[in-house]
Amino acid sequence: MRGFDNRWKDFPDYIIGITKEIWEDRGLATLHDYYAPDIPVRSPGSMVIGNQDVIAATMATLAEFPDRTLYGEDVIWSGTPEDGMLSSHRLHSTATHTGDGAYGKATGKRLQYRIIADCHAINNQINDEWLIRDQGAIVRQMGWDPADYARDSIAREGGADNCVQPFTPAIDQPGPYKGRGNDNEWGEKYADILNRIMGADLAVIPAEYDRACQLEYAGGRSGISHGDADKFWTSLRSSFPNAKFAIEHQIGREDPMMPPRAAIRWGLHGKHEGWGAFGQPTGAEVYIMGASHAEFGPWGLRREYTLFDETAVWKQIILATGAHD
Amino acid sequence: MTEAFTGFSQRWADFPDYIIGITKEIWEDRGLATLHDYYADDVVMRFPSGILRGNQTVINGTMATIAEFPDRVLLAEDVIWSGDAETGYLSSHRVRTSGTHTGFGAFGEPTGKRFDIRVIADCAAKSDTIYDEWLVRDYGGMARQLGLDPQKIARDQINDGVKPFTPADDVDGGYHGTGNTNEWGAKYADILQRIMAADLAVIPREYDRACHLHHAGARDGLSHADADIYWTALRSSFPSATFAIHHQIGRDDAMMPPRAAIRWSLTGKHDGWGMFGPPTGAPVHIMGISHAEFGPWGLRHETTLYDEVSIWKQITLHTG
Repeated sequence: MRGFDNRWKDFPDYIIGITKEIWEDRGLATLHDYYAPDIPVRSPGSMVIGNQDVIAATMATLAEFPDRTLYGEDVIWSGTPEDGMLSSHRLHSTATHTGDGAYGKATGKRLQYRIIADCHAINNQINDEWLIRDQGAIVRQMGWDPADYARDSIAREGGADNCVQPFTPAIDQPGPYKGRGNDNEWGEKYADILNRIMGADLAVIPAEYDRACQLEYAGGRSGISHGDADKFWTSLRSSFPNAKFAIEHQIGREDPMMPPRAAIRWGLHGKHEGWGAFGQPTGAEVYIMGASHAEFGPWGLRREYTLFDETAVWKQIILATGAHD
Repeated sequence: MTEAFTGFSQRWADFPDYIIGITKEIWEDRGLATLHDYYADDVVMRFPSGILRGNQTVINGTMATIAEFPDRVLLAEDVIWSGDAETGYLSSHRVRTSGTHTGFGAFGEPTGKRFDIRVIADCAAKSDTIYDEWLVRDYGGMARQLGLDPQKIARDQINDGVKPFTPADDVDGGYHGTGNTNEWGAKYADILQRIMAADLAVIPREYDRACHLHHAGARDGLSHADADIYWTALRSSFPSATFAIHHQIGRDDAMMPPRAAIRWSLTGKHDGWGMFGPPTGAPVHIMGISHAEFGPWGLRHETTLYDEVSIWKQITLHTG
């Protein structure tokens, strides 16, 4: 790995290694080196610039969840050390909500949730990032309804005009990474599946998913088989039936010791004008940043992980409709 | 398909296809009568709860299960297999099964509750026919999901005249294979032997830190700590019992990570504290089956099944 410290044996090792070092081994200060000073970090809930803000946010999270673990489930990546590499890193976290903070008063609840972080790294440093945390799972496990949480967060952040603005392409700030992934067939296949689902060709689910597939979806919802896949994707799409679905980044990989797999980051941009997972249509304009990982097997898509941030969707709906008052 | 697949109907693409296909046909498509052909007349079926002989008994048992759970769905998570037409094929078939408890049966009055558990069936097959079988259902998980207590179910079933399976009751069903010599089976066997020898340090060494665990009792766990808890709770109830591996398969297949299937047993006395309460000294035989998927960072997915209800039944038969 040219440009990277010799102690990492490959790119996944680097990603998994620095994540543990930063969070669990409390090396927050290493972010001065591991993260570029002007790094853009896009989350569904915000747009943050610079490693100083990343350090502050990391510390705030640790104050709220001091025992947080970050288990690296997978690193699906593309690129080269010379041109830069993009890691789509799926994490499974456990944490106890023992500190007051961004999520309100400490609830003492034990949490389990996933995160997908797309990071661009070159020369031993991360300088561009897209980060989706399953906020719906977190707040549900704390006892919140995601819509209520979003409403409450608007108030706690100082009202509609002062609150943290959810990410939309309009507030995006371009970073150094311009790649779109790779052209491996498994990425192509998964992109085709998602495009067809978003085109309401739901028959693709029984055609391409293993009948015994395991599904891990936004909101901490686990599912099995075709019926649950159909339910999840339909309830999302039908809330935004005319929104534009766009694949932003696509990776496929065949690695030793692993089944074929794919990582896709996508956006759904348009109006909340249908019935589905977000209740009564409001006409609000919404941008949804989503990330999906898939593992394929001899009988089709065997495992799927799809994350987006329900609280950021609700926040956009509530801000647009004025329902926060 | 790397190995030859001979002696079976041409409508099956390969051995896993045959296993997955007939399971659906028998259960969900209600082809119970096909068991006359798909199962040998004198098939031997070993459950932790007891041993059955003959396909008519299998048909009756299948019917009773369907009567109790008519909407039961069986999803094939994996088929890990070994053998050839000569020695017979052995399929270790992991099934995720769910349904609604709407009929009277082994679990008593219908509760109307849903269950979602795993089953592993080790089946020996030759010429389109299954002739020898070991089947572990997660009855502990099922009982809990139906709102029942595994120990109480065992107590309720104490006078049903069915004796939990022990090696003394075993019958030769004709399959004498012990699996294959693939490295992943050997690796997983080594891991299980170390755990059973209380070398628990093998868990952080060999399991992926982000591993997923599905253990008996429908318990879903994560990472080293849960692996340690699950295995220790079992072993410490039977600390002096003999751990034996009866069948071991490892496989490197296209489109799949390396994986292993191991059928094992623990035979001895209930003489320690663990998941089965205060030690009773009861003689116990535990039939267990474990499946593992390996990845670049160690053991990534593990499913370990044994039948808690049958263990409680053996304990209760001893304590009276």
